[in-house]
Amino acid sequence: MDTEKRTQHLTERLTYIKDIFGDKQQENIRLLETKLEEFIQRENGLSVEDKFAALSTLEDLFGFVERNLENELTAMDKVRIVRHSQRICLRDILENVYDNYTEIGGKDENSIDPSMLIARAYITRRSGKRVYHQPVMVIGQEKGHGEEFRNGGSVKPWGNAKALHYMRVAETENIPVHTFVFTPGSFPVEDAPGAAQQIAKNLYEMAALSVPVVAVFSEGGSGGAEAIGLADSRLMLSHGYYSVISPEGAAAIEGRVRGGDRAGAELVEKCAHQLKITADDNVRMGYIDHKIQEPALGARPYHYEFFRSLRQEVIRATDEVVLNVKGFSPFRAMALRRRKGKSIEDLDLENIHVRWSLSRKARARLIAKRHAKFNKLSKSAFIDRRPIHRRVAAWFVEKGWDTYSYFKYDLWRSHQKKLMYAVEEVDAEARVLMDKVKGPWKKITKAIPANTSKADKEKELTMLSQWDEEDQGKGQWSYISPRAKEDRAITCPNAETHGCQDLWAPDLFGEYAGVCNSCGHHFPMEYQWYMHNIFDPGSIFEFNTEVESANPLGFEGFDLKLEQAKNKTGLKSSCTTFEARINNVKVVVATLIAPFRGGTVGAAEGEKFVQAAERAKKKRFPFISYVHGTAGIRIQEGVNGVIQMPRCTMAVRRYIDAGGLYLVLYDTNSYAGPLASFLGCSPYQFAIRSSNIGFAGPGVIKETTGMDIPPDYHRAQKALSRGHIQGIWDRRDARHNLSQALMTMGGRNLYYR
Amino acid sequence: MQNTNHKVLVANRGEIAIRIMQACQKLGLGFVCVYTAEDSASGHVRMAKEHGGEKSLYRVSSYQDANELLAVADESGATAIHPGYGFFAEDYRFARRVTQRENKLIFIGPSWRIIRELGDKINTKRLARSLEVPTVPGSDRPVYDELEAEKIARQLFEFQEEQGIRRPMVLVKASAGGGGMGIEEVYDIDLFKSVYRRIRSYSLRQFSDEGVLIEQRIKDFNHLEVQIVSDRTGKNPVHFGTRNCSIQSTGLQKRLEIAPGFDPSSINYTFDAQKVLDDITEYSLAMARKVGYDNVGTWEWIVTRDGRPFLMEVNTRIQVENGVSAMISRVNGKAGVDLIAEQIRVGLGEPLGYSQENITFDGVGIEYRLIAENPEMKFTPWVGRIEDFGWDKHDWLQMHSHVPTDVAYDIPTEFDPNLALAIIWGKDLSEVKVHGKEFLNELRLTGQNQGGESLKSNVNFLRTKTDEILKF
Repeated sequence: MDTEKRTQHLTERLTYIKDIFGDKQQENIRLLETKLEEFIQRENGLSVEDKFAALSTLEDLFGFVERNLENELTAMDKVRIVRHSQRICLRDILENVYDNYTEIGGKDENSIDPSMLIARAYITRRSGKRVYHQPVMVIGQEKGHGEEFRNGGSVKPWGNAKALHYMRVAETENIPVHTFVFTPGSFPVEDAPGAAQQIAKNLYEMAALSVPVVAVFSEGGSGGAEAIGLADSRLMLSHGYYSVISPEGAAAIEGRVRGGDRAGAELVEKCAHQLKITADDNVRMGYIDHKIQEPALGARPYHYEFFRSLRQEVIRATDEVVLNVKGFSPFRAMALRRRKGKSIEDLDLENIHVRWSLSRKARARLIAKRHAKFNKLSKSAFIDRRPIHRRVAAWFVEKGWDTYSYFKYDLWRSHQKKLMYAVEEVDAEARVLMDKVKGPWKKITKAIPANTSKADKEKELTMLSQWDEEDQGKGQWSYISPRAKEDRAITCPNAETHGCQDLWAPDLFGEYAGVCNSCGHHFPMEYQWYMHNIFDPGSIFEFNTEVESANPLGFEGFDLKLEQAKNKTGLKSSCTTFEARINNVKVVVATLIAPFRGGTVGAAEGEKFVQAAERAKKKRFPFISYVHGTAGIRIQEGVNGVIQMPRCTMAVRRYIDAGGLYLVLYDTNSYAGPLASFLGCSPYQFAIRSSNIGFAGPGVIKETTGMDIPPDYHRAQKALSRGHIQGIWDRRDARHNLSQALMTMGGRNLYYR
Repeated sequence: MQNTNHKVLVANRGEIAIRIMQACQKLGLGFVCVYTAEDSASGHVRMAKEHGGEKSLYRVSSYQDANELLAVADESGATAIHPGYGFFAEDYRFARRVTQRENKLIFIGPSWRIIRELGDKINTKRLARSLEVPTVPGSDRPVYDELEAEKIARQLFEFQEEQGIRRPMVLVKASAGGGGMGIEEVYDIDLFKSVYRRIRSYSLRQFSDEGVLIEQRIKDFNHLEVQIVSDRTGKNPVHFGTRNCSIQSTGLQKRLEIAPGFDPSSINYTFDAQKVLDDITEYSLAMARKVGYDNVGTWEWIVTRDGRPFLMEVNTRIQVENGVSAMISRVNGKAGVDLIAEQIRVGLGEPLGYSQENITFDGVGIEYRLIAENPEMKFTPWVGRIEDFGWDKHDWLQMHSHVPTDVAYDIPTEFDPNLALAIIWGKDLSEVKVHGKEFLNELRLTGQNQGGESLKSNVNFLRTKTDEILKF
């Protein structure tokens, strides 16, 4: 390398440091600056050897300072590192980690979505004298080095769709998938498909993708990260971050910033620290399996050593995943295990050969392991106040249910049908026989004329008939909104266009159930209304009531807010789970209730949801998710919250694969994480006409994309037209429609297929 | 009237508004009148101007805007609302709102629960059957089961055949429907199933409810009514006789009402007419007692040619034809009964003050509804300017009209073109017919519209129908 290039390189390193630290570390920066200036000043006067020597000293100094600075990195500095244009990108990894590759789906800007990069790549290993080419599907967001068209790695829905497509291809080809997460978040557009809709689809499919998936996180921003981040082994670069939201976003919410303003740098810094977004934090909490050490101040494209270790890491991770589910691999597994703890460079991984394609049984084991892995996560991020003996009792009850459902459904059900057929046959035979035997007697009795008089017939036609209790209650709600007590007239928002007359509040919120009787506009309604009017009266049995939302990250001031929410609503988390009946069909229901912290989902909510899905699966009940409203993942819980996206989606997947019927009913505003995972993945999603459904709210869209969106962007009608939901219901018909859906999409006996 | 501190908001127009104001004057009560721009020349506005005093006349944008009416009530200091007939008369939500709002008012009509209960025809039918009051044969609840529906239909056909009806017919209708939507007639049991399924799926699509009602369709009948009055205790309802409203226009709108319902003393019926009249009044009173009916109401009945009464529905309001019943009624032997005054009196909480023994009947009454319309052209309304309108006064005649007789009057197009109600009395059927014809002959009613077409009215129709009254 000639001196000019080396000088240039040092200048770049200096700007990089300046960019990362901003106005911090002025002394170190000034030191490097002066030294570099000094060298450039006297460069021309030096001989070649002296120049080289001076440069080497300078480089050593740079290295020394960088290593020193490394120890003082804050969380926000790391955020700046991953966002820097000098940061390695997926193309660098493809060039340096894999032995050969072909990009799929276009190059540079000529691609359906340039921020999603997909490549079929090879890793070549030599075991003894033999050479093995192991194909993998590499999928990841491409940030590039500051190119505009890469959109900063913010993937549009169709980019995620492309990723999903090639995961399926990998599944067909039986090759592992390596995903690289380099995204600040998904691009929040609602097109066909919408952002949330597509991420949900991805998660749902990845929950049962039957090939090994290894994910490497560099920049893991919320939903966009989850779209490709659900993996058997999750690695993370030491300078990356993995978070529920960008620190700026969190600061904007914490500082209640509105309309174009920005949160102060100090608050952003504090949020970044409190959200626990670094690799070390995530490894400690268990959301990341392994941290990959980067060079000081983060990997840049010229850190070839780093690429070598990255290569070793992904190979080892893939090997581990595969060997864990392979039938016969005692020695190789032992070899891998023994290597644990040693530095990755010491390993001679190339020398071990592991076939990465899996047999059918191994695939099933792989998926089971993946589910078990995610199920264990975030167990300590909520409060369970039950005393130990009740927990033990609950455990026994659960095991009891396991055995019972095994006998009832797996053993008995299969024989039940045969038995029923046999009984039917015998019955039919017997009836014919009895007719023959009774024949002579019947002839005699028929000869005597029946004396049903005219008066009797008339009486029958004009007599009082029996009346179902059900029908008598028609038009009467068993819960009336407290707003129905106010004596005031309310103007329908459509009054100007539809000519609706003002509605009297007691009529509107009482009898009309919050629906304008002239145009059908739905005013939002309390969740209690649905609890009382959708399910059979008195049939609600709540379970898991002890699970409580907590503040796992110790987020400042959040304990107080949580306490306020609990006192205000009388709930312990925004999710209540219960068993109930609809027209005598038993169902398990999980709800997200907006008044409790905006219906956000954290560890407690996720746990309750998973438990409910498990319960429905065990009892063979339909599973209904009623979303009164949700604002997304609870940001104050950080990754404890965001991990609920894959966790709950996997619970749903298990339930549906076991033959269950999963129905989602949206009510008011439903946005972000939950929509993009366990709610959005349901094949049957319906919305009450009052719903807004989408990925990001109008403010966030404006903030991140600069687009002004039309006011009806998130309306239920739009969600229907882009295929997210399957129907829009009138609130007053919700019970009837739900009951109808249960009968037609399953039916009392037919339900369990 | 003991307590005259009330002020009644008259939430209606035209003839009934005038009647209510007159009744208020008679009872010594204040009143408030509302009118819309189209109605500014109407008689009720004139009357309010002349006799109402301060804060008694307000212009509103519509008679059907509850918010505006209640604002007027608050502004004028009204304590009660009389809905008249039509508009809010049978709207239980309005009645409920009036009595439950912060500034509570009295709704002069039955309490809202009763309006709701009897406003639902299926509910009324069930109530009737539970008291063994005869109703039209058929189902009294929505039928959801196809086999059950077919059984009912089969029974109905057999029943009609036994009764000797030449062309039996069954009506299939969507229970959630109304106003003639989702109704079909079936003449043949073999066609029933397909019609039933069609109505059921129509109902499911339109109202998301599969319930279907199956009834016998009665074609040859007389339409009778029983006038009920009860005070707020709801315990001792009385009746003010029966009316026969069988003479109707092609659109099944009443044109001629006669009290009493039948006249067995001068006409021979094929059945025992007196028994039918006694039965329906007794049945009506029984139902009124059962629900605790607490104002003025009308029980409507169908009487078939063989003299079988069936309850049709209950109108929980004062009716247009109340005057004809009042005309033949005597309380404690005195004439000059005013049912609207009675309604306001009991509506404001005063006890009735007499029982059924005190009510007697005398003679026969006819009510003519004078309407600008063309009976030869399917009763199409005529719109234009009335130039001359007048009649000769008689002691057997009562006229109720909002149309001024001293100036020309443009008939507003927004409302039904009812011009006047003429109530005629005679001591028996033959006399009342003579009086009726005399009145119609003396009546002056001419006018012209902008097309130069002269006024069309139903006077000739009424004249020819007078000969046939009370004949089955």
